Amino acid sequence: MHSNKKIAIINYGVGNLFSVKQACETFGMTGVITSSPEMIETCDAVILPGVGAFGSAMQSLEKNCLVPVIKKAAYSGKPFLGICLGMQLLLEKSHEFGLFDGLGIIKGEVIRFKQDKGPSQKMLRIPHIGWNRIEPPLNRTWNNSYLKTVPARSFMYFVHSYYAVPDDPDIILSNTIYGEQKFCSSFQYENILGCQFHPEKSGSIGLEIYKTLASELDSHGSI
Amino acid sequence: MTCRIIPRLDIKGPNLVKGIHLEGLRILGKPEAFAKHYYEQGADELIYMDIVASLYERNSLAELISTTAQKIFIPLTVGGGLRSIKDIETVLGAGADKVAINTAAIRNPDFIKEAAEKYGSSTIIVSIEAIKKSNGSYEAFTDNGREETGLDVFEWAKQAAALGAGEILITSVDREGTGFGFDLPLVKKMSESVSIPVIALGGGGSVEHIHEVITKGKADAVSIASLLHYDFIRNHDMLKADYSDEGNIDYLKSGKPFSNIQPLSMKEIKRFLINTDVACRPVEV
Amino acid sequence: MKEQLEAKYGLPKEVKFCKRCVMSNQRPASAIEFKHTITSKKTTLHFDQEEICDACRVAEQKEKIDWKKREEQLLALLEKHRRNDGHYDCIVPGSGGKDSGLQAHILKYKYGMNPLTITWPPILYTEYGYHNFKNWLDIGGFDNISFYRNGKIMKLLTKLSIENLLHPFQTFILGQKNLAPKIALNYDIPLIFYGENEAEYGNPIADNNISLRDKSYFAMKNLKDIFLGGVCINELMEKYGIPLNDLMSFLPAGVSELEKSNIEVHYLGYYLKWTPQEAYYYSAENTGFKARPFRTQGTYSKYNSIDDKIDDLHYYTTYIKFGIGRATYDASQEIRNHHLTRDEGKILVKRFDGEFPDKYFSEIMAYIEMEPDYFIKLCDNFRSPHLWKKQNGEWKLRHTVNLDGTDDL
Repeated sequence: MHSNKKIAIINYGVGNLFSVKQACETFGMTGVITSSPEMIETCDAVILPGVGAFGSAMQSLEKNCLVPVIKKAAYSGKPFLGICLGMQLLLEKSHEFGLFDGLGIIKGEVIRFKQDKGPSQKMLRIPHIGWNRIEPPLNRTWNNSYLKTVPARSFMYFVHSYYAVPDDPDIILSNTIYGEQKFCSSFQYENILGCQFHPEKSGSIGLEIYKTLASELDSHGSI
Repeated sequence: MTCRIIPRLDIKGPNLVKGIHLEGLRILGKPEAFAKHYYEQGADELIYMDIVASLYERNSLAELISTTAQKIFIPLTVGGGLRSIKDIETVLGAGADKVAINTAAIRNPDFIKEAAEKYGSSTIIVSIEAIKKSNGSYEAFTDNGREETGLDVFEWAKQAAALGAGEILITSVDREGTGFGFDLPLVKKMSESVSIPVIALGGGGSVEHIHEVITKGKADAVSIASLLHYDFIRNHDMLKADYSDEGNIDYLKSGKPFSNIQPLSMKEIKRFLINTDVACRPVEV
Repeated sequence: MKEQLEAKYGLPKEVKFCKRCVMSNQRPASAIEFKHTITSKKTTLHFDQEEICDACRVAEQKEKIDWKKREEQLLALLEKHRRNDGHYDCIVPGSGGKDSGLQAHILKYKYGMNPLTITWPPILYTEYGYHNFKNWLDIGGFDNISFYRNGKIMKLLTKLSIENLLHPFQTFILGQKNLAPKIALNYDIPLIFYGENEAEYGNPIADNNISLRDKSYFAMKNLKDIFLGGVCINELMEKYGIPLNDLMSFLPAGVSELEKSNIEVHYLGYYLKWTPQEAYYYSAENTGFKARPFRTQGTYSKYNSIDDKIDDLHYYTTYIKFGIGRATYDASQEIRNHHLTRDEGKILVKRFDGEFPDKYFSEIMAYIEMEPDYFIKLCDNFRSPHLWKKQNGEWKLRHTVNLDGTDDL
């Protein structure tokens, strides 16, 4: 089922890009790992992955002249997926190791989990690593979103110490509770999906997101 | 927060092996078959350890990692003989999500900092092999419980966390492969020593052991090997594969069970845990 | 022109390495210890036309043996000896290591025998070795007779065997080999089981096809022909003032006594396919055996012969005398059993062979009351010129399996 749709997987030096590519190719899309703005522009969809520190990631994006093409893709209406650090980079700023400016495509900021002691007196583990549930906010469903085939309260795989707080609560697609802190685990603003979790690392449920991306690209090229 | 159950696959060359006290090369089959099975059974992550990489100063898992990453969409941690940033880069580039480092970190603790800054703390797991001394303390070892370091495991873990390690993988060499249960005091004290996740490994022989190491040992994740591997081989014929390159398959041919282990599938483990109110990701139906 | 180099101990002048494992042709066969003197000429490991050693050929044969048939022979043998009247029906010599763990357990629990385990203890027990010994009996569940030998004589003989033969392990080997037949005689238990057949390691290949241990290993005919620590009995008595009584425990049973008896010595390794690593797993599973909690010096392994502190020094002396260190022994065995490839074996030899066992060295020197420097000097006297060359003040092997000896390059 080769759809000859090209997905640009932005390579700016960090993250497991191989798995993202594999996830795309599982559903017949061609995953193109690239740091070339020209290549990114020709693709039908863009994935901004990432693992690691916000500040150095932004530095790397700037050094590789990727900021303009990312913004252009995000505003173009073509499917745009920010994963983990990639999701965070979409926001205006982050407090990780200082205060850094992000891409500013989504209004809001990125903050750290609070290191509270839980009821068992065990210190909250930071980073948040492991499988946790994503839930739609009250009065929201995932129909008409990238999560439309994902059952509510599914488990996804997280690995992060910081999380995004979008200014506009209406874009929040899912929340997740860690310790006693509730945070936004995914948002969708028009064509842009931000997932704090790793869909390509969340088993078959996570792959549903790639499947949805593929079928949407096939049918009309956008969500 | 759910507790992760992580199968650990010890690998030598083309084969999956299982030792006792991190010693011995008993072959149980081919790693690809086990990995696929565990993924389908609901494993939360996988760990691949190249157990002879340090011994022979070679790194040979790249191809296996890529094959795995093509079909298996859960996090993969790779360890064994990772001595430099370049080694880490190769392994991550091949499709691994995290790396486990031991010897290289102990020899040069700043390596943890360097790796964490480049790849993110959460990518770097510091693996600690603990052997209990006669005075009750635990010393950190390298090279599969072979080389003494003089380091106290808890002090070392704290140092590693401060340098940027994302997780600690704590292995009890004394218990490893025996099926006698996890070293609960070791795991509990480790859990109290750091605020990063602690993965317990070594000695899991029954589902009660796993339950205990989570509830009493306070582990954030549990890694098991023998328990799952011996279960897999009793239901699948591992002799069909090709072992002509290397490997002694006398054990496989014998068809004997391993009596100190209560072989269990991932499904059975998770079912038990959920029934006893231990949060874990349920197996997808 | 090539120098004519002396080859000590009757070792072959040309050094060769087996094409399959990493053993050299300098490897001596097990000596008849009580005939062992400094002038003894060694029988060494035989290599065939294809430069493959006897031990590898034996390993090859192992794959072709009809093990079912061999087990049937074992069952017949056991049937003959099995007793259900509470009396022991076989002896298993050992010290709770991986081999005696397997031997005793399988005979008792799989084959329904009633073994008496017997132990000639290590010269200097390691802590974990002693723990394994106790677990053998407490977890495995066996009766045991341990013979604690006269410590004064043991110390003297150990020192003499080091000084005269550079052979720290002789006293242990003597005791280990000689104890079982004596107990068999005393307690009327005519069946003795050892583990691996020594032919597996390259002792004359003819041995392996008969399961009885050659009685010459442990029979003695005449006191005058007996040497302990490289010193003949008469000299021990006269020069060192040791009464004959004090030496008896190190000596084998008399030939006439043995011949009158119906004692049979068998190798379980003849009847059951023996893989040292699998013996390790078996013992860990059934008799509480634990590997050494650190790497054995001179090699890469943790499960072989770990209960005697002197064992490590023993392998250092084989390195001095024959150019063969412990890593070579271990790797060769593991190559033959398909755990390792030859290339891997070569790397291990390069990395670990000949590593000085400093962990217990001072303690051993204190035990035998020898100056450490004296021991080092002693070693130099035992280096055969055809194996060793001194280069820039350091001793180096002329030939290695990695072809990086002084005379290889």
